[in-house]
Amino acid sequence: MGNLTHVTIDFDSSHLIFPALTGCILGLLGLAILIRDRRAILASGAHWRRILGETDKMRFFGTLALTVLYFSAMVPVGDIWPNTGMGFLLCSIPLVALSGLLFMRDRTLRKTVPLMIVAVAAPLLVWWLFTDLFFLTLP
Amino acid sequence: MDILAFISPLFVLLAIGGTLVGIIFGAIPGMTATMAVAVCLPVTYSLGLENGLALLLGLYVGGISGGLVPAILLGIPGTPSSITTTLDGHPMAKSGHGEKALRIGICASLVGGLVSLLILDLFAPTLADFAIKFSYVEKFLIILFALSVMAALSSDLLLGIFSGFLGIFISLIGTYDVTKGGNGEWRLIPPGTEYWLESGFSLLPVLIGLFGLAAILDEAETGMKAGMSRKDVRIGQHEKFSLTIFKGQWVNLIRSSCIGTFVGILPGVGGSAASILSYSNAKTFSKNPEKFGKGEPAGIMASEAGNNGLTGGALVPLLSLGIPGDSTTALLIGAFTLQGVQVGPLFIGNNPVTWDAMILAMLIANIAMFVLMYYAIRYFAMVVTVPKCILFPVILMMCVIGAYTINYGIMFDVWTLLIFGVFGWLMAKIRLEVAPFIIGFILGPSAEVYFVKTLESFGDLTIFFTKSWIAVFLWVLIALSVGGSAYLQTKKAK
Amino acid sequence: MTFTRRTLLAAASAAAILAQPFAASAADLPKNIRMVIGSTSTGGDTYQAASIVADALSEKLGANIKVDAVGAVNGFKALERDSRGTTIMLFHDFAYLAELYGGKGFVNPFEAFTVGATIANNPGNAYLVGANSPYQTMEDILTAAENGERVRVAIQPGGVSEIGFSAMKNAAKVRAPGSEENIVPVNTGSQSDKNQAMWDGLADVINGSIQANEQFTQLDGDDQKAMRFVWITASPETLAEAPEAGMGKLTRDGMLDYASPATSVTLDGTQDFTFDKEFFLIFNKDMDPALIDTIDGALAEIYDEGEIQKKETAAFFTPNFRPSAEAREHLMEKRETYKKVIAEISG
Repeated sequence: MGNLTHVTIDFDSSHLIFPALTGCILGLLGLAILIRDRRAILASGAHWRRILGETDKMRFFGTLALTVLYFSAMVPVGDIWPNTGMGFLLCSIPLVALSGLLFMRDRTLRKTVPLMIVAVAAPLLVWWLFTDLFFLTLP
Repeated sequence: MDILAFISPLFVLLAIGGTLVGIIFGAIPGMTATMAVAVCLPVTYSLGLENGLALLLGLYVGGISGGLVPAILLGIPGTPSSITTTLDGHPMAKSGHGEKALRIGICASLVGGLVSLLILDLFAPTLADFAIKFSYVEKFLIILFALSVMAALSSDLLLGIFSGFLGIFISLIGTYDVTKGGNGEWRLIPPGTEYWLESGFSLLPVLIGLFGLAAILDEAETGMKAGMSRKDVRIGQHEKFSLTIFKGQWVNLIRSSCIGTFVGILPGVGGSAASILSYSNAKTFSKNPEKFGKGEPAGIMASEAGNNGLTGGALVPLLSLGIPGDSTTALLIGAFTLQGVQVGPLFIGNNPVTWDAMILAMLIANIAMFVLMYYAIRYFAMVVTVPKCILFPVILMMCVIGAYTINYGIMFDVWTLLIFGVFGWLMAKIRLEVAPFIIGFILGPSAEVYFVKTLESFGDLTIFFTKSWIAVFLWVLIALSVGGSAYLQTKKAK
Repeated sequence: MTFTRRTLLAAASAAAILAQPFAASAADLPKNIRMVIGSTSTGGDTYQAASIVADALSEKLGANIKVDAVGAVNGFKALERDSRGTTIMLFHDFAYLAELYGGKGFVNPFEAFTVGATIANNPGNAYLVGANSPYQTMEDILTAAENGERVRVAIQPGGVSEIGFSAMKNAAKVRAPGSEENIVPVNTGSQSDKNQAMWDGLADVINGSIQANEQFTQLDGDDQKAMRFVWITASPETLAEAPEAGMGKLTRDGMLDYASPATSVTLDGTQDFTFDKEFFLIFNKDMDPALIDTIDGALAEIYDEGEIQKKETAAFFTPNFRPSAEAREHLMEKRETYKKVIAEISG
């Protein structure tokens, strides 16, 4: 009994024990799901076609594209004025404005004006709060 | 106690002001109590010890409490410890009971805060002596117990547990952290991504990605249907709120507060475990556990009493051992050393005035938290009436701030936000479950360290059962929790 | 809050610009500087050392210096990317020890970066035993190892916490070759883990610090938590700079009893091993040397004025300013010594 439960751990390779253990459990669970839900998984092509068909493509992919653009632009823009948080400020204003317009249904002037005010005011307020008042680093 | 020694209008004002700023930090997705304290720590140099502590403790209490606001109203946990608040709070908000959910959460927070403060005041040194009986074995079992809630949160047991283990697996990516006892080696890093992934994914960006960005993507996918109007959230209609809702819940409230306090006392177990454990217990012992996760007030109570219970608990090891109970109290050590105050087992005896000041500051902060939040509810609740085309871009921007500042300026954390935003959206499509996933992700690293260290130190698997009566007791709780979930699942299947 | 750090800082720097002739010559230094540190904790000693020096430099240079606790790995990455002098780093001996111990992803900072001025020591690094331990001194511990007794030492591997342990093994080897095998590590993490390892009976000796552990040494012997110091690794020169009253009940003279030469952990049979945890600046390899000179000059003035020393001493640091060139030489020498120790015990 004592020998069965006995384990020796080599510290130098101890970083692999838990990942291996979790990986095995994950594999078994995955297998169980595959077996149980095999029909649904085989039919998943239709599932995805339906999802894609129902997706508001412009808004969904537009959001993704804007987000990627926003994240990518922040650091290069911020590097022009190092450690001032300008990258965040100058990228957030167009992001809020553009994604707001993207999300808006029937774009009327009456709806656009408040959005534009928020697009300028919110990043400005947040930027001031975090860089000036709280003294944190922004890109 | 000689209150006159330190109390002044400034002291009270700082405690209240700190609470307010803390609530704001807590309410912004991605900003945490720890961040609030870190940001304000330098200000305390010039304030003197007692006044400085009043500010910091206010921030701490406020920061832990503020997280419930976005958790309930937006479904985005403001801090990791309010994840379980989201589970029942957000469904309530969606069905138009946001204001009520907020009130429940705030009341529960107050109870949690006060109970833990009482425990701190009366039993701090005794509890610290008890806490050091928890070795790696018992700590692993506590984490395992918290992990068992994965089963309780799953709507499909198999898929839910799979999601949970996936969360654990992904949390292990990167370096086996030496500061937690690891050997500093890398694992699970896909070749070519070492530069970004050597420190793994940080919790906070993952959290706000899964809950925040994923929600925005989901809305974008369905075309941003019109949001709630004022009528839907029943603002100004004064949905009747009376304390009767707490009837029959006092056991839950007190139990959750005590669990929160106790988790706080155990160094290294981590703050998020407090609300997770309270929630899991509330569900296990509830008369109608099937309602949890669909808008059950008892769930909010458990979660919020639990995470506020943490505040007093985490101060116990700090003040009676000189060891921080969570990441926020770790910062308080900095405040002490800067003022030349030594921490350790003799702290309370050597600094009676500071000790009294801290208890008083916590009391003021808890009351201020309650008053400020209770009367601000109607303004909070208005958030959901803001048109989505304005709300979501601003949330996106705030998520970026949170992700970027949480580790003091690391751009990869912002990309993590995006990765897990998309991942969270995908998960819903393939029926994987976010709640067990994030719990696995949070607890994974602790589970690993305590499990591996147990085997490293004791070299025998039986130690998990034979170490102490505490271990046996924890196994009973784990069995109850898992058994309860399994029973519910089979009942549901019938 | 109206008293933000920024307003205080702005007022202070405005005053500095008016009062200091230095500010004019420092015009070429960026106005917004980010000081990354090798620790992720904003409550720890690295952050405190950094914020003390950052505040003083901000005032002196009229610049805006933010301290960011990004940690070692991310700190070096941030430093690598920025050669304009807008990012600088403050760290301690871990910066080069990590590479010596083979830490994944760490390089020799003397080659990959420019090492700058030292600013302070933390003299607190110490080793402790339980109050009821049979070991009274380091001598007992090393003798026990010689007699074949296994001595388990709780450390956090790979850095400042391990170097003293390596020195113990080295000393054991010098005294009786082979006996170093009896000094074994218990690899743990934070201070709380190390204490817990002792209380759980998993370790005989733990690494700790004067600041975090002194009060435990004041406890009664029958308290499970009670401890005793056996070794303080700092050099006697560094301890001489510590406040006379010491920390808690441990006076400066008391500290000296646990440090070299009173407590000897030999390096090579003649000299004692000592380790001072030193904080120093690190710059990007391609940063303009003129900027480093500006910082050196500003620091020299700051340390001449003497205010910063008071702040450092109050937070239990011992001030030790050395300008870049001198600091680099000193630290490289230190690295060589430790490199030999580590090679001795692993070879």
